[in-house]
Amino acid sequence: MDHSKQIQEIASRLFAENKIDYFVGYRQNSFDDTQVPFLITDPAEIPKLVFTERSVFNLSNYLKPDHTKRKRVGLVVKGCDSRALNLMLTESQVKRENVYIIGICCEGVLNEKGEKAQNCVECVMPDPVVYDEILGTASGKREYIVNADIKELAQKALTERADYFENIFENCIRCNACRHSCPLCYCAKCCIDQETSTLYHGANTSSAGMHALMTWSLHLAGRCVDCRNCEKACPSHLPLHLLHKQNEMVIYENFQQHLAGMEKDDRGAFYKYSLSDPDDFIL
Amino acid sequence: METEVKKAQGTMVSAENPDITAPADWQPVIMGILCNWCSYAGSDLTGTSRIQYPPNIRIIRVPCSSRVDPWFIIKSLQTAADGVLISGCHPGDCHYISGNYYARRRFLVTKKLLNFIGYHENRVQFSWVSAAEGPKFAKVVAKVTEDIKQLGPLHRYKKENF
Ligand code: SF4
Ligand code: SF4
Ligand code: SF4
Repeated sequence: MDHSKQIQEIASRLFAENKIDYFVGYRQNSFDDTQVPFLITDPAEIPKLVFTERSVFNLSNYLKPDHTKRKRVGLVVKGCDSRALNLMLTESQVKRENVYIIGICCEGVLNEKGEKAQNCVECVMPDPVVYDEILGTASGKREYIVNADIKELAQKALTERADYFENIFENCIRCNACRHSCPLCYCAKCCIDQETSTLYHGANTSSAGMHALMTWSLHLAGRCVDCRNCEKACPSHLPLHLLHKQNEMVIYENFQQHLAGMEKDDRGAFYKYSLSDPDDFIL
Repeated sequence: METEVKKAQGTMVSAENPDITAPADWQPVIMGILCNWCSYAGSDLTGTSRIQYPPNIRIIRVPCSSRVDPWFIIKSLQTAADGVLISGCHPGDCHYISGNYYARRRFLVTKKLLNFIGYHENRVQFSWVSAAEGPKFAKVVAKVTEDIKQLGPLHRYKKENF
């Protein structure tokens, strides 16, 4: 899956035709074989653009900052990234005429260990759902698979699960990198930050971690596209996908197999309802 | 050693954390978040009809059950409450036509996620109570209070624990 040449050609064409102000792609890291997001305004830097199975990050996130918000941006998206972008378009965070989208029919990216990442093994939609130009051959929608870690954890006893998650929440240092790296987390003011006590604010206790991560994951429920940008950004390497995948599974199983960002103008599972939604848990 | 002493004195053991116990006369604090148009009026009727219900519930009035952000539930569990009861209008009776249908989706996901991270499923409960159902409200509160008494104190993630 090496599309570096094609992306470079498209980028230089877009700059030559003056269709974009920014181009967001990936560039090789200088010290190892990983890649980092690369934002360019100067066509001279185009030869540095690459795209391989090491291009792990979700570039839709770079449409959030002020300096790209009102500019015309060209960017590269994989399947999951394009679902996030689709939601951003639906939620009026990005103007469609301001973005030029190069969609990649994805074959899966690698994790730090060099294996195919878990979200790619379980990916439901590797093809871009929104694009101006498409690279690679589309392979179509796949069947939904319940996350392997969730299945394993669900077997455990309640107190065991509680201990496991307390350990996770305790290790959150409240740096908010997960929030900043998620393309769908864009509120200017976040309700998680409304704590009045400065002593408590930002404290890395399990209580503060639970409050922050649970609220965050529930605000992304029905919208999270499982790109795992948050998890890659987390300095404590917390398995944040557990919370998101659990919500995704409950939503998929109970609400007409809803998956976030698959269709245009679909705002997420919590923005619609059905008269036949499960009701048996209510007294 | 200290926990052993505590265990000998206490008879209530937290369902989520076996190390946490409370004395036999321990009373739970339950956060009740009620919709203005149905359940809040229903609870009012319970009072004016002189029907008794457990005083453990602390009631907050919201305009609609769909005003309840899952954040409210998490915040309640984190600060003071041992359990949460959320109540709104019966499906089809919403003052704003469809608020409770939206709320219902969120409640299911919140409940499942809380259970997944290790809260007993009875900690957070939901009910539909109309303005005419005074006796039902008393019954619901009694049931929820009894359930949460069985579960013991909620210690994990309480804010005072650090
Ligand atoms: S989750 Fe799917 S689209 Fe995203 S990188 Fe993995 S295989 Fe590609
Ligand atoms: S929460 Fe994480 S996995 Fe979900 S969309 Fe945001 S960055 Fe991607
Ligand atoms: S990135 Fe990780 S450590 Fe930072 S706030 Fe998010 S979960 Fe906590």
